[in-house]
Amino acid sequence: MPVISADLVHVEPSLSCDELQRRLLSGQTLLAESSDHLLEVVGVLESYGEVLDAYSLNLIYQAEHQFLNPVPVFKYLDGDLSPAKIWRHLNHDRINFEYAEYCQKAMFWHGTGGLDAYLDGEAFASNCQAIIAAKRRRDPLLALLNPLFPGFLPELIRSAATTHALGQFWRVMSDLFLDLARAERSGQVSTIAHVVDFIKEGLVAAAANPITYGVTIAGQHHWVLPPEAGLTFLVDVAVPYVEAVFLRGMPFLGTVSFNAQAQQISPDQAQFAYGALYADPLPSMGAGIPPSLLLQDMYRHLPEPLHQWYRQRTRGEGDVRVKICMSFQKSMFCVTNAAINGTMPHPLSTTDPQQQAANAAYALAWADRLAAGRTDCLAA
Amino acid sequence: MLLSSLLLIPFVGSLVVLLWPGGPSPQRLRLVTILILVAQLLVSLGAIALFDPTAPGMQLQELHAWVPGIGLDYALGIDGLSLPLVLINAALTLVSAVITRDIDKRPRIYFAMLLLISGAVNGAFLAENLLLFFLFYELELIPLWLLISVWGGANRAYAATKFLIFTAVSGMLILGAFLGLSLLTGTVDFSLTPVLSDRLTIGGQLLLLIPLLIGFGIKIPLVPLHNWLPDAHTQASTPLSVLLAGVLLKLGTYGLLRFGLQLFPEAWARIAPALAIWAAFSVLYGSLAAIGQTDMKRMVAFSSVGHMGYVLLAAAAGTPVALLGAVFQMVSHGLISALLFLLVGIVYRKTGTRDLQVLHGLLNPEKGLPLTGSLMIVAVMASAGLPGMAGFISEFLVFRGSIGVFPLATLLSMVGSGLTAVYFLLLVNRAFFGRLAITPPSGDAQVDGRLDVRLSPVALRETLPAIALAAGVVLLGLWPASLGHLSEAATTAMGLTIGGVA
Amino acid sequence: MQSLSEALPLPLQFTWLIPIYGFSGMLLSLPWATGWIKRNGPRPAAYLNLLVTLLAVLHGSLVIRDVLAIGPQHLDFVWFNAADLTLRLGFDLSLTNLAALELVTTMSLVCQVYALGYLDKEWSLARFYALVGFFEGAMSGVVLSSNLFLSYFLLEMLTLSTYLLVGFWYAQPLVVTAARDAFLTKRVGDVLLLMGVVALAAWTGSLEYNDLYDWASENASTGAIAPLAGTLLGLGLIAGPIGKCAQFPMHLWLDEAMEGPNPASILRNSVVVTCGAVVLMKLMPVVAPLSPLATQVLLVVGSISAIGGALVALAQVDLKRAFSYSTTSYLGLVFIAIALQRPGLALLLLLAHGLARALQFMGVGSIIATTNCQDLSELGGIGTRMPATLLAFVVGGAGVVGLFPLGTFWCFALMLNTLLPASPLLATVFLLTNALTAANVVRVVRSVFGGSPTPKCRRTPECNWLMALPMVSLTVLVLLLPWIMQRFDPVPGIGSFPLPVALGVAGSAAAGVVVGSLLPQDQFWSRATTPWLRLLQDLLAYDFYTPEIYRRTIVALVASLARITLWVDRILIKGLVDGLGRLSLVTAEGLKLTVSGQLQSYVLTVIAALLLLLGSLQWLRGA
Repeated sequence: MPVISADLVHVEPSLSCDELQRRLLSGQTLLAESSDHLLEVVGVLESYGEVLDAYSLNLIYQAEHQFLNPVPVFKYLDGDLSPAKIWRHLNHDRINFEYAEYCQKAMFWHGTGGLDAYLDGEAFASNCQAIIAAKRRRDPLLALLNPLFPGFLPELIRSAATTHALGQFWRVMSDLFLDLARAERSGQVSTIAHVVDFIKEGLVAAAANPITYGVTIAGQHHWVLPPEAGLTFLVDVAVPYVEAVFLRGMPFLGTVSFNAQAQQISPDQAQFAYGALYADPLPSMGAGIPPSLLLQDMYRHLPEPLHQWYRQRTRGEGDVRVKICMSFQKSMFCVTNAAINGTMPHPLSTTDPQQQAANAAYALAWADRLAAGRTDCLAA
Repeated sequence: MLLSSLLLIPFVGSLVVLLWPGGPSPQRLRLVTILILVAQLLVSLGAIALFDPTAPGMQLQELHAWVPGIGLDYALGIDGLSLPLVLINAALTLVSAVITRDIDKRPRIYFAMLLLISGAVNGAFLAENLLLFFLFYELELIPLWLLISVWGGANRAYAATKFLIFTAVSGMLILGAFLGLSLLTGTVDFSLTPVLSDRLTIGGQLLLLIPLLIGFGIKIPLVPLHNWLPDAHTQASTPLSVLLAGVLLKLGTYGLLRFGLQLFPEAWARIAPALAIWAAFSVLYGSLAAIGQTDMKRMVAFSSVGHMGYVLLAAAAGTPVALLGAVFQMVSHGLISALLFLLVGIVYRKTGTRDLQVLHGLLNPEKGLPLTGSLMIVAVMASAGLPGMAGFISEFLVFRGSIGVFPLATLLSMVGSGLTAVYFLLLVNRAFFGRLAITPPSGDAQVDGRLDVRLSPVALRETLPAIALAAGVVLLGLWPASLGHLSEAATTAMGLTIGGVA
Repeated sequence: MQSLSEALPLPLQFTWLIPIYGFSGMLLSLPWATGWIKRNGPRPAAYLNLLVTLLAVLHGSLVIRDVLAIGPQHLDFVWFNAADLTLRLGFDLSLTNLAALELVTTMSLVCQVYALGYLDKEWSLARFYALVGFFEGAMSGVVLSSNLFLSYFLLEMLTLSTYLLVGFWYAQPLVVTAARDAFLTKRVGDVLLLMGVVALAAWTGSLEYNDLYDWASENASTGAIAPLAGTLLGLGLIAGPIGKCAQFPMHLWLDEAMEGPNPASILRNSVVVTCGAVVLMKLMPVVAPLSPLATQVLLVVGSISAIGGALVALAQVDLKRAFSYSTTSYLGLVFIAIALQRPGLALLLLLAHGLARALQFMGVGSIIATTNCQDLSELGGIGTRMPATLLAFVVGGAGVVGLFPLGTFWCFALMLNTLLPASPLLATVFLLTNALTAANVVRVVRSVFGGSPTPKCRRTPECNWLMALPMVSLTVLVLLLPWIMQRFDPVPGIGSFPLPVALGVAGSAAAGVVVGSLLPQDQFWSRATTPWLRLLQDLLAYDFYTPEIYRRTIVALVASLARITLWVDRILIKGLVDGLGRLSLVTAEGLKLTVSGQLQSYVLTVIAALLLLLGSLQWLRGA
């Protein structure tokens, strides 16, 4: 007999801006403490770590070995041209590297932070010219195109630089998430608060890592992002990444109309709210939802306990990827939480009213942006 | 004996289910019913093997005097008109039994009634004696009424009563006409011999044909005699709707062809122009009424009203192509409407609603009903007459056969075919496109955008009957010669009869 | 299966397989599209579709080779035969049909490669490729068809697949209405066409085009078909192509169809409209003798679409729509050529337009994929950073405009050469459309690539290689097109027109280019301040308010009819029935014949009926 439809619809309360600010300032985690949450966040981050490992390796491979290749047919093969690997790629039995490129594009297109500023500078332009000059000598196509289209190659090199930087960023994140899973198994991490602290510490430890990128052309090494540019992990890559992928994102063709007359998309990119913290998990795996690729990758690397947990809920295996998306959103709030904690202007324990006010303003700025996000996944 | 076994299998089966010893579980009873119906389907398929498609008349005939005093003979026969309907009956009753799950009360009676209906319908399609036909025609009513009034929805008492009154009137009119025939011709010959002016004046023929038309018009149903149908469908359970739309409505059109057109060819030719206009009116009315519906099941029910109108149009035109089209339309409407009701039933079971103002985005791949939605697109496209599916060739034959005789009515009916696309597209786009939702919008976009809808999954076994029906729809659409081959001789002969007198 | 001669070469005998390749692509995609294969991604479906499309292209070229050697052939199969009706599936293997087939299959192939790049982050890839396979199969069948029944059959399948392709992103709110309108508008045309097909089938008995041609000319000379019937038939037959080619007034769906994925838009704007026009071309010898009015209607519809479409295109702020209205405009010109019974010229124009338009849309896709934007007012300043895309815009634009020396120029000049003496008015339509299109192309290229970079165009690397490669290949093809056209139509040659005509065509385009380059960019999309100018601008930007007109007329009519029917059904009929029911129950209760429930009353009826039966029979026997 038919069911009552209202029973089939679930909604969790969303958190207000004040509540978010309170949690940030009181040192409470954004995501509520519970053993389920711990299982979800650690499990999903573990599979994400595995996926990021592959993404990172491939982005770095692309930036270094497929540099300015006009027909990069084998760009996802990481240089391994064995028949078995080619077959697996043809059968699409592989990581969806397209999603890594999608994130790179988002980061590049939104263009915020120190790395982006460096790409418009004089130093970068002269590095570019040196690289193009070296490349032109052995590549007639580029030799022909560059004078006709002077903007072409520098833009590709900028894109490659972002690709490499994102690869380096994900290297750190991948290791961090896999370490987190190990720490949870060994009992060092047993609450959501531990998770947030663990990530925060990882980020702080890597904050000053230099971001550099060079290519080798005809045996000669050229810097694209030289060490003297002084680009570092946290402010020049991690922060723009969070801005571009967690917060702004890019509109999904599957849910938003690009029709200019409909004006569904803001002309101001800073107003975009399509990122991981805002996206609706329900249409996952549908048409025109790019994160479906990531969800599939994570699904293929799901740790068994979490997979088991999913099997027992709602449709079990049937809607597992939507559930992964929901857990992923929770874990991304934890990462954001760690990043905010790590960049808080002053320690939370401060008693100086001025410092407290600065902290409050900082937390408020974040809470304001997060309040429009999917805070309903955080639970009360 | 083959035709008798088509009656024996379901009737004896019905007794077997009723008298099954011990307290069998509903699942056991369902299994027994399915096995009986599989046997019935196999025997029906066996009839194809014995059937000679080139012969126009009745075949495999069986004749035993039963109550000679009142002219009631046990006379069975099958021809190219009834054979496809017998097949549809066997197939769709099987589908009904297969999709009956979670029967909560009196499973024994439920399955027995299902078998009884199937047997009675077979009897009506096979009867070669007017009174025998009437007996089976009435016999199918009681179980159907029981099925609506016991296993129906909340408002089932009203719907069942209405159904009962309408069909009882239908039965009275038909019986009245049959008796009148005996009265006017002064014989008790209830065989299927055409009644021509040498036996009965044209006025007398019309006097008998008109009650028959109204009687069968209720069953088909034709506007304005259709009022029982939407209520019966909305209150009936899904398996019953499948049976009602797929098989029982065909009794009306079959009756029209067999006892209207074939029995009174002269009078039929006389009133054919009016019938064509009536058909076009019914088609347009059904389509327009369907556009206004918000209950998916009511919409499908009204689409039935529209689509059965094509059969009347074809019968009115009476050309061989049109009559073949009528058989095609009966079969394809049987398959398509069964498919539609089945899919609406799945949506209803999973979401608890059929309201088009509430349902959205059911195509959602992980949390919605994507396979059901895809099949629904196939079903509505078939119903709208898209080529490659059964609806197209049926409508094409009907229109091609009728346009020369009744151009205006045919063109109006084609407009109705265009309107089918309108309401079914509204159905698909509202219920299956967009973000998944099964509750009325709250008005706050953010709240609606955060609802997590947790429908239970549709198991493959629930969709299998629908997949089979959809495959049948596509197969008939791509290979219409399969059915054309069976019915051509009979419908051509029928068309020549009417052509000869017109 | 019967063919003319047993000695036909094998590729010819199996030409019917070519549409089947496309359809089989759909079936091959099913395991991924339905999610049976859950662990692996959907790309194998795309590869399989590419493979079968490649097969179709190769098979098509083998058939061309054979036809060149032994001349045109005809293949015919009986599909359904009953009573006095025979429905056949026939393929006409003439060089023009095969050229159109190669255009369809090649464009499909190119588009499918392009889609691998454009939809690289699309998880429903298998469904997309299944639909494109279906699309391609239907289109290959339409261009080969020698038979109105088959043409209709496949046109309807095209309608269905357009619906499904526009509805590809089914969760997007505007797609919901867009897919519906695309289907319904085309369906109106299809139903009118079906009326024509059914009438023709009843009158002629055969739906082979050649039989229809004979029948039409015979009837026109004997006057066997009444003028009114002939006119209605003609109008019904042209309605299908008008809907399919989005001609005024059935272009409503076009704007919304741009909500679909861009690779589908490429196909729609190049080959789908070509299919509609090819069907019209095949129908024209039937329509022309029977109905002079239908021919006039085609000329009027074509002219309005040509100029109206070009004007509306100029006022669009959306990149895709700016070009898609231009497609309507060019198909209007093709309609004029067909109505004037110049099928050869119409085909040349379709070829030149199809390739160049596809190239333009590939460029559009590249811009959308890179900038996440298709709003001209937010695009700008890409400059030289995207060479392949820039070339696609420039070459595609030059190919569409009748500007020396690319394809359309030659078509326009040939057309003008025939039109000038006969109908200077239609010649003006061509020149004006040419000028307006040139202005549109220039303003779009300027606003995308010129000026200083807008925020959304600040970081625009060239699109990925899977998009760039087909784009560059097509650029080369468009550049080579005049040479191909010369080979395809050697007598009297594509250059057989006098110099003044050439100067006229080039001059009109040049005038358009000058207007497009001189007008300040933002005048095209910022609202004018002068009231009358703003009125005109809005009128064009909102497509002469066509959606509104539809809503107020046809939609309102159907909706109110439905409301009236519903009222009649709920109040009159149901009320009457319920009233009667109550009355009878009351009567029954009054007679104390029923206690409760309905079973009793039923049993009563049956008993009464039986008594009646037995009594009357008894009486009969006694009498």
